[in-house]
Amino acid sequence: MGRKRSKRSARKIGFWRRWSGLMWKLALVGLVALAGLAIYLDAVVQEKFSGKRWAVPAKVFARPLELYAGQQLSRDDFLTELSALGYRSVNAISQPGQMSASASRVDVYTRGFQSFEGSEPAQRISVRFSGPQVSALSGNGDVVMARLEPLMIGGIYPAHNEDRILVRLDQAPPYLVEALVAVEDREYFQHFGVSPKGIARAAYVNIVAGGVVQGGSTLTQQLVKNFYLSSERSLIRKGAEAMMAVLLELHYSKEEILEAYLNEVFLGQDGRRAVHGFGLASQYYFAQPLHELQLHQVALLVGMVKGPSLYNPRRQPERTKKRRDLVIQMLEEQGVISKEQAADAIEQPLDVTVRGSLADSNYPAFMDLIKRQLREDYQDEDLTSEGLRIFTSFDPLLQLKAEKAVASSLKNLGERANDMEAAVVVTGAQTGEVLALVGGRNPRFSGFNRALDASRPIGSLVKPAVYLTALEQPQNYSLISPVDDSPITLDAEPGKTWSPQNYSRQSHGVVPLHEALARSYNQATVRLGVDIGVDRVLQTIDRMGVRHGWPAYPAMLLGSGAMTPLQVTDMYQTLANGGFNTPLRAIRNVLTAEGDQLRRYPFEIEQRFDSATVFLMQEALSRVMTDGTGRSAYNQIPSSVRLAGKTGTTNDLRDSWFAGFSDDVVAVVWLGRDDNGQTRLTGATGALQVWTAFMAQAHPRSLSDAAPEGIVYAWVNRLTGEGSDPSCPDTVQVPFREGYQPLPGPGCRPLIDTAPVREGAGRVMDVIRGWLQ
Amino acid sequence: MGTKRIGLLAGCIMLLVGCAGSGGHIPVVDAGRAVSNEDLQTGAGRSGQPQIQPQAQQEQGGAVVVMVPDGEGGSSAIESYPLDSSPVSSQPAPGGTATGGNRLQDDEQLSGPVLALLTSARQQENGGDLNSASASLERALRIAPREPQVLYRLAQVRLDQGDAAQAEQLARRGLSYASGRPALQAGLWELVAQARERQGDSAGAATARQRARVAL
Repeated sequence: MGRKRSKRSARKIGFWRRWSGLMWKLALVGLVALAGLAIYLDAVVQEKFSGKRWAVPAKVFARPLELYAGQQLSRDDFLTELSALGYRSVNAISQPGQMSASASRVDVYTRGFQSFEGSEPAQRISVRFSGPQVSALSGNGDVVMARLEPLMIGGIYPAHNEDRILVRLDQAPPYLVEALVAVEDREYFQHFGVSPKGIARAAYVNIVAGGVVQGGSTLTQQLVKNFYLSSERSLIRKGAEAMMAVLLELHYSKEEILEAYLNEVFLGQDGRRAVHGFGLASQYYFAQPLHELQLHQVALLVGMVKGPSLYNPRRQPERTKKRRDLVIQMLEEQGVISKEQAADAIEQPLDVTVRGSLADSNYPAFMDLIKRQLREDYQDEDLTSEGLRIFTSFDPLLQLKAEKAVASSLKNLGERANDMEAAVVVTGAQTGEVLALVGGRNPRFSGFNRALDASRPIGSLVKPAVYLTALEQPQNYSLISPVDDSPITLDAEPGKTWSPQNYSRQSHGVVPLHEALARSYNQATVRLGVDIGVDRVLQTIDRMGVRHGWPAYPAMLLGSGAMTPLQVTDMYQTLANGGFNTPLRAIRNVLTAEGDQLRRYPFEIEQRFDSATVFLMQEALSRVMTDGTGRSAYNQIPSSVRLAGKTGTTNDLRDSWFAGFSDDVVAVVWLGRDDNGQTRLTGATGALQVWTAFMAQAHPRSLSDAAPEGIVYAWVNRLTGEGSDPSCPDTVQVPFREGYQPLPGPGCRPLIDTAPVREGAGRVMDVIRGWLQ
Repeated sequence: MGTKRIGLLAGCIMLLVGCAGSGGHIPVVDAGRAVSNEDLQTGAGRSGQPQIQPQAQQEQGGAVVVMVPDGEGGSSAIESYPLDSSPVSSQPAPGGTATGGNRLQDDEQLSGPVLALLTSARQQENGGDLNSASASLERALRIAPREPQVLYRLAQVRLDQGDAAQAEQLARRGLSYASGRPALQAGLWELVAQARERQGDSAGAATARQRARVAL
């Protein structure tokens, strides 16, 4: 019986044993699997968190603005730059990032920065202005010079990429952490990654509200979701998220997690670029460094976390302000801020920068140039992920002036400007640094970059190369050598003849060399070019810095060869820089994210022409401006500013060019159509107008007339070109290459007969007679 | 006799008038400016400020002297660098706080920012940081692109960096601005000579040395 009973019970126990055994096994397997998952997730959590957390795109900076007594900088330009950098106007400056402006003085508390050129301290300075110049600089102690931090002008992103500026937790402004915790996760500093209390509250709120209005995710979970997981919504993902949140909390401190959150969170979309992290958001919305943000700005950003496009302050200002004010109220309710602080903050406007202003603008043409130069030295991946900092020569103030010059000039041209395109290149005359670049009439549009890619016939812009080649033979040519502007017929391409015409369809006979250039006479230029040899002229263009590969047809003497505006700039740069060619540069330096210098782009020059010869060429080109085709520039620019330049017009008025320079700036302007249609503009009626409008605002420094070694001045008769004497009529002083000046002519007696001089001499004689007596 | 004299004198005056009205200009240096309190406070060495009592330059071993404001309205030399290998003898700078050189002609006075940058470049160079020295000098060049002293220093640094070709080019650029400054011309030619030697061009170096001697 016992056996039977035991048999039965054994069967029963066996059943249970079998089941519980299975359960045990299953539980064990589950546990092992869970442990495995945990170990796997733990590895994932640690691996990504401990290494380089984010791919940070390279940042590109403008030049830092230098301040010193004597600097060419107007008060208005200075204020423009300060506001672009997000300096706030206050009554009395007390901390970095503040300014206070009066009529002729601006007080600034600079922010200070580190660059490859050494560190710049944050300091209080007073800048006094006199016209377009800094007249004095003062501060605590002796301030000889100071710099503003460089404006960030762009980054290098792959398509659809995240961008961010990494910040440390200690760089967070007051109330940022408090506000974030108050709004997104009240138990952040108490929970262990997930918050049952938070979930319960969210569930209750959602049930009461009858829909999902509040999430139960902790900040840690939000970080995990964005940082590790895809955006799919599933229960498994939710589970993994919770597990990873707990694991993350296990390994890292609350502060580390919070810092990662500050850098990870998505805060807006800028075209194809996603704005991540509070560091970049602060720059993107306020043009200020994060640590300077005030309560109302902090509240705005924290409010946006819930939905960056829903609460976009630029697109939805009213809705965003409501949300911001709600955040401020929550801070007040929790006792973080006082009632007065809250009221003050709610009074404040949104304060976001205006899109398209200097603070918030893009410069596609210049960035295009930078990218091309960088791609010669770096892999795309390094540029888009290593957080490199690229310092350039870009001058946002000159860029603004160039863009305005294009816009205003095209507007003045009226209907003629329909479908017309434009390109402008501005460089430092002595340094060869690219300061501004306009790639089309809409400078914000990143498409065809005409400054770099529109290769068009250059017309008369080529002529200086012809005259320079001539002046390099001082035994044969000087500025006053006679050249013959009369009809000429040449064999051009096989079987064809070519008879160049002047623009006016008239010939001018024998004229001095400088006049033929100043008035852009075609026939004189062709005769001169043929005499010295077309191939030599083409070699000269090569030496000026442009590899053209043009065939040696005579038509090249009048500019039927094509160049891009950047190439033209290279060519004229050599003339502006005393015969020294400088490869045009836009990048000054590249630093790693840690601030180590990765690569320098040093100033390099190469002498291609004798400085004395180039001085003669500058003299000739300055006569283009005073007596020739460039005259109209002086309608807007003071005649005391010596400038040099040349107009260029191509066949059937298709392209309108102007290239010219002052002592400090080279600017090249092209106007034309993308379809190469007629513009009905000459160089003077089109491009020169843009150039003049730009130069009038750029306050160029007058071209130096200090002659280099090897130049002598001699008196010559203006009409015959023969050596003369200052006492003779029609006599002018002309620079010559030393040793090739004409012999002085005899003095001219007739001048003695002029009455005032005779009277003066008589008086002197009376005095002398007085002494003798 | 009277008419003859009058004619002669009138001729001379004509010449003077002709010169004066010619546009060929004679550099005029306003050196007689009164000292004001502000000058005493801010010191000299500012851009475009004529010196109070310019002293004639004493030729001294062909040295180029960098001047710093001494806070007393004058400039005194803080450092001098020889343009040739002979050591520079030093003498007390009158009224200055520092010693070590002589006063420069007006045109060799550098304006404040350029001077400051040249001074930091010198410190960086002494510390062996040629890259930073080069960056400081390029910054100075952007402010004063026509100052041959800056080009001279940059050429020196390039030579130390091992870029003899650029050193020669920069020295030649400096020469194109150094008209009328014989000591500086001699120094620049000497640099050209050194740079050419490094490039294996001993004939070119000899020519440059010849020019250096002529310049002095």
